[in-house]
Amino acid sequence: MDSNIETRLVFIAPTSDLTPDRIARFVHNLGNDVSVKETCYGVVLQGPKEAVKRTLDEVRKMDPNRIYSKIRAFPMGDIRRCRAHHGSRPGFAQLEKEWKDLCLVEQGLICVEKGEIPPTPKKRQKIPVNDLKKLIDEVSP
Amino acid sequence: MKIFIMPPNSLILFDLVERFGHEPLSLMKALRDRVTSNEIEAPPLNVTVEDVKKGLKYAGIEVPSGIRGRLAIYGPLIDEAEAAIFMEDAPYSFGCVGCQRTNELAKLLVRKRKVPILSLDYPANEEEAKDMVYKVKEFLEGLK
Repeated sequence: MDSNIETRLVFIAPTSDLTPDRIARFVHNLGNDVSVKETCYGVVLQGPKEAVKRTLDEVRKMDPNRIYSKIRAFPMGDIRRCRAHHGSRPGFAQLEKEWKDLCLVEQGLICVEKGEIPPTPKKRQKIPVNDLKKLIDEVSP
Repeated sequence: MKIFIMPPNSLILFDLVERFGHEPLSLMKALRDRVTSNEIEAPPLNVTVEDVKKGLKYAGIEVPSGIRGRLAIYGPLIDEAEAAIFMEDAPYSFGCVGCQRTNELAKLLVRKRKVPILSLDYPANEEEAKDMVYKVKEFLEGLK
Protein backbone atom coordinates (compact mmCIF):
# COMPACT_ATOMS: atom_id res chain seq x y z
CA MET A 1 0.00 0.00 0.00
CA ASP A 2 1.12 3.54 -0.74
CA SER A 3 2.89 4.98 2.31
CA ASN A 4 1.22 8.33 1.67
CA ILE A 5 -2.19 6.82 2.43
CA GLU A 6 -3.44 7.32 5.99
CA THR A 7 -6.36 5.76 7.83
CA ARG A 8 -7.90 7.64 10.75
CA LEU A 9 -10.51 6.82 13.32
CA VAL A 10 -12.78 9.73 14.18
CA PHE A 11 -14.62 9.37 17.48
CA ILE A 12 -17.70 11.28 18.57
CA ALA A 13 -17.85 11.77 22.34
CA PRO A 14 -20.96 10.25 23.99
CA THR A 15 -22.18 13.75 24.95
CA SER A 16 -22.20 15.05 21.37
CA ASP A 17 -25.39 15.47 19.33
CA LEU A 18 -23.56 14.55 16.13
CA THR A 19 -24.13 11.20 14.49
CA PRO A 20 -21.72 9.14 12.36
CA ASP A 21 -24.15 9.55 9.47
CA ARG A 22 -23.98 13.34 9.68
CA ILE A 23 -20.19 13.34 9.70
CA ALA A 24 -20.08 10.91 6.78
CA ARG A 25 -22.40 13.12 4.73
CA PHE A 26 -20.35 16.19 5.68
CA VAL A 27 -17.14 14.47 4.51
CA HIS A 28 -18.76 13.49 1.23
CA ASN A 29 -19.85 17.08 0.69
CA LEU A 30 -16.33 18.40 1.30
CA GLY A 31 -15.27 16.73 -1.95
CA ASN A 32 -11.77 15.91 -0.70
CA ASP A 33 -10.14 12.79 -2.08
CA VAL A 34 -11.04 10.81 1.05
CA SER A 35 -13.03 7.61 1.61
CA VAL A 36 -15.34 7.56 4.61
CA LYS A 37 -17.01 4.67 6.45
CA GLU A 38 -19.53 4.97 9.25
CA THR A 39 -18.89 3.02 12.44
CA CYS A 40 -20.65 2.72 15.81
CA TYR A 41 -18.36 5.31 17.43
CA GLY A 42 -17.89 7.74 14.52
CA VAL A 43 -16.29 7.32 11.13
CA VAL A 44 -13.13 5.96 9.53
CA LEU A 45 -11.37 8.21 7.03
CA GLN A 46 -8.85 7.02 4.48
CA GLY A 47 -6.96 8.85 1.79
CA PRO A 48 -3.75 10.81 1.09
CA LYS A 49 -2.29 12.21 4.33
CA GLU A 50 -2.83 15.85 3.39
CA ALA A 51 -6.43 15.30 2.31
CA VAL A 52 -7.20 13.34 5.50
CA LYS A 53 -5.70 16.12 7.62
CA ARG A 54 -7.71 18.80 5.80
CA THR A 55 -10.88 16.74 6.20
CA LEU A 56 -10.22 16.10 9.87
CA ASP A 57 -9.67 19.82 10.53
CA GLU A 58 -13.03 20.56 8.94
CA VAL A 59 -14.79 17.74 10.82
CA ARG A 60 -13.33 18.93 14.13
CA LYS A 61 -14.89 22.35 13.60
CA MET A 62 -18.34 20.72 13.84
CA ASP A 63 -17.83 20.06 17.57
CA PRO A 64 -14.23 20.82 18.55
CA ASN A 65 -14.20 19.42 22.06
CA ARG A 66 -16.28 16.38 21.30
CA ILE A 67 -14.52 15.01 18.22
CA TYR A 68 -11.36 13.01 18.76
CA SER A 69 -9.15 11.14 16.37
CA LYS A 70 -6.25 8.77 16.10
CA ILE A 71 -4.44 6.92 13.35
CA ARG A 72 -5.40 3.35 12.56
CA ALA A 73 -2.81 0.78 11.50
CA PHE A 74 -5.10 -1.42 9.43
CA PRO A 75 -6.54 -0.03 6.20
CA MET A 76 -10.29 0.56 5.96
CA GLY A 77 -12.25 -2.66 5.38
CA ASP A 78 -9.17 -4.84 5.89
CA ILE A 79 -10.42 -8.44 6.05
CA ARG A 80 -8.26 -9.17 9.09
CA ARG A 81 -10.17 -6.57 11.11
CA CYS A 82 -13.41 -5.72 9.31
CA ARG A 83 -16.50 -7.10 11.07
CA ALA A 84 -18.15 -7.73 7.70
CA HIS A 85 -15.48 -10.37 7.09
CA HIS A 86 -15.65 -11.67 10.70
CA GLY A 87 -12.30 -10.08 11.51
CA SER A 88 -11.10 -9.94 15.09
CA ARG A 89 -11.17 -6.68 17.06
CA PRO A 90 -8.60 -7.21 19.82
CA GLY A 91 -8.29 -3.56 20.84
CA PHE A 92 -11.98 -2.89 21.23
CA ALA A 93 -12.04 -3.06 25.06
CA GLN A 94 -9.56 -0.18 25.15
CA LEU A 95 -11.37 1.85 22.51
CA GLU A 96 -14.64 1.41 24.38
CA LYS A 97 -13.15 2.53 27.70
CA GLU A 98 -11.44 5.56 26.18
CA TRP A 99 -14.57 6.45 24.20
CA LYS A 100 -16.58 6.46 27.46
CA ASP A 101 -13.94 8.73 29.03
CA LEU A 102 -14.16 11.29 26.21
CA CYS A 103 -16.96 13.17 28.00
CA LEU A 104 -14.54 13.65 30.92
CA VAL A 105 -11.71 14.79 28.64
CA GLU A 106 -14.15 17.22 27.06
CA GLN A 107 -14.67 18.89 30.45
CA GLY A 108 -10.89 19.16 30.76
CA LEU A 109 -10.59 20.82 27.35
CA ILE A 110 -13.35 23.30 28.19
CA CYS A 111 -11.57 24.12 31.45
CA VAL A 112 -8.27 24.68 29.61
CA GLU A 113 -10.01 26.81 26.96
CA LYS A 114 -11.40 29.10 29.66
CA GLY A 115 -7.93 29.40 31.14
CA GLU A 116 -9.00 28.01 34.49
CA ILE A 117 -6.55 26.27 36.77
CA PRO A 118 -8.34 23.18 38.12
CA PRO A 119 -7.98 22.30 41.81
CA THR A 120 -5.73 19.31 42.54
CA PRO A 121 -8.05 16.31 42.93
CA LYS A 122 -7.95 14.09 45.97
CA LYS A 123 -5.58 11.19 45.57
CA ARG A 124 -7.34 7.87 45.12
CA GLN A 125 -6.78 5.57 48.06
CA LYS A 126 -7.18 1.88 48.65
CA ILE A 127 -10.20 0.77 50.66
CA PRO A 128 -9.32 0.44 54.38
CA VAL A 129 -9.16 -3.15 55.66
CA ASN A 130 -11.96 -2.58 58.19
CA ASP A 131 -14.31 -1.26 55.49
CA LEU A 132 -13.46 -4.26 53.35
CA LYS A 133 -14.23 -6.58 56.29
CA LYS A 134 -17.59 -4.85 56.77
CA LEU A 135 -18.40 -5.35 53.08
CA ILE A 136 -17.49 -9.02 53.29
CA ASP A 137 -19.65 -9.46 56.38
CA GLU A 138 -22.56 -7.78 54.64
CA VAL A 139 -22.33 -10.07 51.64
CA SER A 140 -21.65 -13.29 53.52
CA PRO A 141 -22.71 -12.96 57.17
CA MET B 1 8.53 17.51 19.26
CA LYS B 2 8.10 13.75 19.13
CA ILE B 3 6.19 12.49 22.15
CA PHE B 4 6.12 8.83 23.15
CA ILE B 5 2.76 7.88 24.60
CA MET B 6 1.89 5.03 26.94
CA PRO B 7 -0.38 3.10 26.33
CA PRO B 8 1.16 3.47 22.87
CA ASN B 9 -2.22 3.10 21.15
CA SER B 10 -4.16 5.47 23.42
CA LEU B 11 -6.82 7.53 21.67
CA ILE B 12 -6.98 10.17 24.42
CA LEU B 13 -3.22 10.77 24.51
CA PHE B 14 -2.80 10.64 20.73
CA ASP B 15 -5.51 13.25 20.29
CA LEU B 16 -4.31 15.54 23.09
CA VAL B 17 -0.68 15.47 21.91
CA GLU B 18 -1.75 16.34 18.37
CA ARG B 19 -4.20 18.97 19.58
CA PHE B 20 -1.47 20.76 21.51
CA GLY B 21 0.84 20.83 18.48
CA HIS B 22 3.23 17.90 18.88
CA GLU B 23 3.80 14.64 17.05
CA PRO B 24 2.65 11.54 18.94
CA LEU B 25 4.84 8.46 18.46
CA SER B 26 2.19 5.80 18.36
CA LEU B 27 2.04 2.07 17.90
CA MET B 28 -0.48 2.44 15.09
CA LYS B 29 1.95 4.32 12.89
CA ALA B 30 4.67 1.73 13.50
CA LEU B 31 2.31 -1.15 12.82
CA ARG B 32 0.96 0.46 9.69
CA ASP B 33 4.11 -0.38 7.71
CA ARG B 34 4.04 -3.95 8.94
CA VAL B 35 0.41 -4.72 8.28
CA THR B 36 0.48 -3.23 4.81
CA SER B 37 3.66 -5.03 3.72
CA ASN B 38 3.34 -8.40 2.03
CA GLU B 39 6.11 -9.94 4.07
CA ILE B 40 3.94 -10.74 7.08
CA GLU B 41 1.05 -13.11 6.57
CA ALA B 42 -1.06 -12.55 9.69
CA PRO B 43 0.17 -9.34 11.31
CA PRO B 44 0.68 -8.25 14.00
CA LEU B 45 0.72 -11.75 15.46
CA ASN B 46 3.86 -12.69 13.51
CA VAL B 47 7.20 -10.98 13.41
CA THR B 48 9.90 -11.14 10.79
CA VAL B 49 13.46 -12.32 11.34
CA GLU B 50 14.53 -8.69 11.20
CA ASP B 51 12.11 -7.82 14.03
CA VAL B 52 13.59 -10.52 16.25
CA LYS B 53 17.07 -9.07 15.70
CA LYS B 54 15.82 -5.55 16.39
CA GLY B 55 14.07 -6.74 19.57
CA LEU B 56 17.37 -8.05 20.93
CA LYS B 57 18.61 -4.49 21.15
CA TYR B 58 15.90 -3.70 23.71
CA ALA B 59 15.40 -6.99 25.57
CA GLY B 60 17.73 -9.86 26.41
CA ILE B 61 17.46 -13.28 24.81
CA GLU B 62 15.93 -14.70 28.01
CA VAL B 63 12.97 -12.30 27.78
CA PRO B 64 9.84 -14.04 26.41
CA SER B 65 9.59 -13.80 22.63
CA GLY B 66 6.21 -12.06 22.82
CA ILE B 67 7.71 -9.19 24.79
CA ARG B 68 10.77 -9.03 22.56
CA GLY B 69 8.57 -8.97 19.48
CA ARG B 70 6.53 -6.09 20.90
CA LEU B 71 9.69 -4.24 21.88
CA ALA B 72 10.97 -4.56 18.31
CA ILE B 73 8.08 -2.23 17.45
CA TYR B 74 8.17 0.01 20.55
CA GLY B 75 11.99 0.25 20.64
CA PRO B 76 12.59 2.48 17.60
CA LEU B 77 9.79 4.77 18.85
CA ILE B 78 11.49 5.07 22.24
CA ASP B 79 14.79 5.90 20.50
CA GLU B 80 13.04 8.70 18.61
CA ALA B 81 11.18 10.10 21.64
CA GLU B 82 12.03 13.60 22.82
CA ALA B 83 9.52 13.45 25.69
CA ALA B 84 6.96 10.98 27.01
CA ILE B 85 3.54 10.85 28.63
CA PHE B 86 2.49 7.79 30.64
CA MET B 87 -1.09 7.05 31.59
CA GLU B 88 -1.16 4.59 34.46
CA ASP B 89 -3.93 2.69 36.16
CA ALA B 90 -5.50 1.37 32.95
CA PRO B 91 -8.24 -1.24 33.27
CA TYR B 92 -7.04 -4.84 33.01
CA SER B 93 -8.98 -5.28 29.76
CA PHE B 94 -6.39 -3.14 27.94
CA GLY B 95 -4.15 -6.09 27.27
CA CYS B 96 -2.64 -9.34 28.42
CA VAL B 97 0.21 -9.88 30.89
CA GLY B 98 2.61 -9.79 27.92
CA CYS B 99 1.40 -6.29 27.05
CA GLN B 100 1.74 -5.22 30.68
CA ARG B 101 5.29 -6.52 31.00
CA THR B 102 6.23 -4.93 27.67
CA ASN B 103 4.82 -1.63 28.88
CA GLU B 104 6.84 -1.86 32.09
CA LEU B 105 10.03 -2.57 30.16
CA ALA B 106 9.24 0.19 27.66
CA LYS B 107 8.73 2.69 30.50
CA LEU B 108 12.08 1.69 31.95
CA LEU B 109 13.75 2.23 28.57
CA VAL B 110 12.18 5.68 28.27
CA ARG B 111 13.30 6.61 31.80
CA LYS B 112 16.84 5.50 30.96
CA ARG B 113 16.86 7.99 28.07
CA LYS B 114 16.41 10.86 30.59
CA VAL B 115 13.80 12.65 28.49
CA PRO B 116 11.06 14.75 30.18
CA ILE B 117 8.25 12.46 31.36
CA LEU B 118 4.72 13.20 32.54
CA SER B 119 3.04 10.43 34.55
CA LEU B 120 -0.73 10.51 34.94
CA ASP B 121 -3.62 8.26 35.90
CA TYR B 122 -6.67 7.50 33.78
CA PRO B 123 -9.30 9.96 35.02
CA ALA B 124 -12.16 8.49 37.02
CA ASN B 125 -14.19 11.70 37.39
CA GLU B 126 -14.54 15.23 36.04
CA GLU B 127 -12.14 16.75 38.55
CA GLU B 128 -9.39 14.31 37.67
CA ALA B 129 -10.00 14.77 33.94
CA LYS B 130 -9.65 18.56 34.25
CA ASP B 131 -6.43 18.11 36.14
CA MET B 132 -5.15 15.60 33.58
CA VAL B 133 -5.84 17.79 30.53
CA TYR B 134 -4.35 20.82 32.31
CA LYS B 135 -1.18 18.90 33.17
CA VAL B 136 -0.82 17.56 29.62
CA LYS B 137 -1.22 21.07 28.21
CA GLU B 138 1.27 22.58 30.63
CA PHE B 139 3.77 19.78 29.96
CA LEU B 140 3.51 20.03 26.17
CA GLU B 141 3.64 23.82 26.12
CA GLY B 142 6.67 23.71 28.37
CA LEU B 143 8.53 21.63 25.80
CA LYS B 144 8.36 24.24 23.05
